[in-house]
Amino acid sequence: MIQRSWKIGGLALLGYVLCMIFFVPLGPGLLEFTSTGSAGHVQDQDRKVTVYALTGFGTHWTESPDQLTVVLRHGTQLASLPLIETLDATHVLVGMDLPYTVPSKSWDVLVTHPVDGTLLLENGVFLQDRFIDEQTKWANPEIAEYPAELPFHFPYQPQILETIRNLMLHVPMWFTMFLLMGISFVASIRQLSTAHDLHQDTKAEASVQIGLLFGALGLVTGSLWARYTWGAWWVDDPQLNGALVTVLVYAGYLVLRATIQNIRLRARLSSVYNLFAFVILIILLMVLPRFSESLHPGKGGNPGFNSYDLDSSLRAVFYPAVLGWMMLGTWMYHVRLKASSIERKLRQLQ
Amino acid sequence: MRNKHGIAGLAVFAIAAVYTCYQATGMHAERESWNALAWVVLLFTAFNAVSKPWADDASNMRSFLLHTVKPQDWLLARILYYSLMLLGLGALIFAAFLLFLGMDPFTGSGALFFFLGIEATALALASLLAMIQALAARAGGGFSLIAVLGLPLIIPIILVSTRYGMDIMKGIAFGDTAHHLLFLATLTGGFTALGYILFPYLWRD
Repeated sequence: MIQRSWKIGGLALLGYVLCMIFFVPLGPGLLEFTSTGSAGHVQDQDRKVTVYALTGFGTHWTESPDQLTVVLRHGTQLASLPLIETLDATHVLVGMDLPYTVPSKSWDVLVTHPVDGTLLLENGVFLQDRFIDEQTKWANPEIAEYPAELPFHFPYQPQILETIRNLMLHVPMWFTMFLLMGISFVASIRQLSTAHDLHQDTKAEASVQIGLLFGALGLVTGSLWARYTWGAWWVDDPQLNGALVTVLVYAGYLVLRATIQNIRLRARLSSVYNLFAFVILIILLMVLPRFSESLHPGKGGNPGFNSYDLDSSLRAVFYPAVLGWMMLGTWMYHVRLKASSIERKLRQLQ
Repeated sequence: MRNKHGIAGLAVFAIAAVYTCYQATGMHAERESWNALAWVVLLFTAFNAVSKPWADDASNMRSFLLHTVKPQDWLLARILYYSLMLLGLGALIFAAFLLFLGMDPFTGSGALFFFLGIEATALALASLLAMIQALAARAGGGFSLIAVLGLPLIIPIILVSTRYGMDIMKGIAFGDTAHHLLFLATLTGGFTALGYILFPYLWRD
């Protein structure tokens, strides 16, 4: 019964996680703010201004378009830009009517809208045709702020965009592998202390087999993510190298087992190697990445996802995902262990 | 239980490898290739050094030793032997590198610090490979098994060493990159301790 609830609980959690991954929309964000190069008129003004195109992601700018405000920000200085035309829900044209002397050339772009709330594009625009006078100041305009009225959604993150969903697949794979390799580590220690019985050795082997499967899936999901966000299937990075080498080390464990015919010797030698392998796993995945710079999220200290990056909507799916994959992993390990034990008993009977 | 010809053979191997690098890089190596080649040659020499079987890997000799020596002491003796040999070979490789490929990458006392790095790496390699060699010999897998088991396991050592070497060549102050050496020393201590605990399980029948 306990086994069955384990199985059902894990699958239920993963069902919930997969539904969330596929059906929860991504929140709105700003993609880019660029000059169109042409000049245009702003309503009620004679002066010609350069027209800029603002591109959003998943925004709702056609709903109440007159309440959309585009603001430039540098430090505490704000400037509101006049709207020229709302093209569709994610494209809008604005006029760049900043004075010719400005305190900075680089500005953040902020957009407030009743549906989307406040959106930010950091250092979104660089004004090449303006002059810098750091003393320049003008009165800040009044900006209406709206609380966002959006259904449950994942946060928009530049570069990552829709692939944020991979967080629920990629990261738990490695957590599950850690768990299984930990089980294997404990089993190997117990195998060395109880020489007469080979059950612990079977446990260690089964958990490494399933752990390697999760490690391989972690590499595949990571590679897909790297292709999307960094532009390459594989990049030279301490975290990635560590992950690959860990998988190789455990593949070596299975090779070692395959070379030894005597089962008692095999149990002992592979347990010894397994202890080395786990120490190397800790060094490669938890110690070395902290030593070095890495592209991988959490660079500069923490090799995992930084807690600041996880907002409540991601947590609501990420924690169940971790738990679900771990439960699935341990269930797979139990099935594998049962099969191996039966095989071993059959061989003894023959 | 080892013979002099074996060690002389390793020395010749190391020098020939350095000479090949010298010819391949065209007499003058950029610091990146200097660094990479030095570690690759050290790594291959170390694997070559542990590829030769010990006389006591044979089972009759092992059962004799089991009754006369504590297995832990036997592992420490092996680590010591490999350490001395790799310290010597490391010094030889470094001298050959300086002779053939020149001292251009180094500024100030950089060469000395690089040498320290080589020797620290030699110790770390010795402590790990002594155990791997014993494991592979006991499993009856020969050299290919040493490579399959050993190469992934030594990656952390090589990652740290190459980074340290590059830091020294870039002229970064020794104090700012010395933590790499500390890390290598920790690895050496850790592998020796792990081996000390586990070697008896590996050695007895």
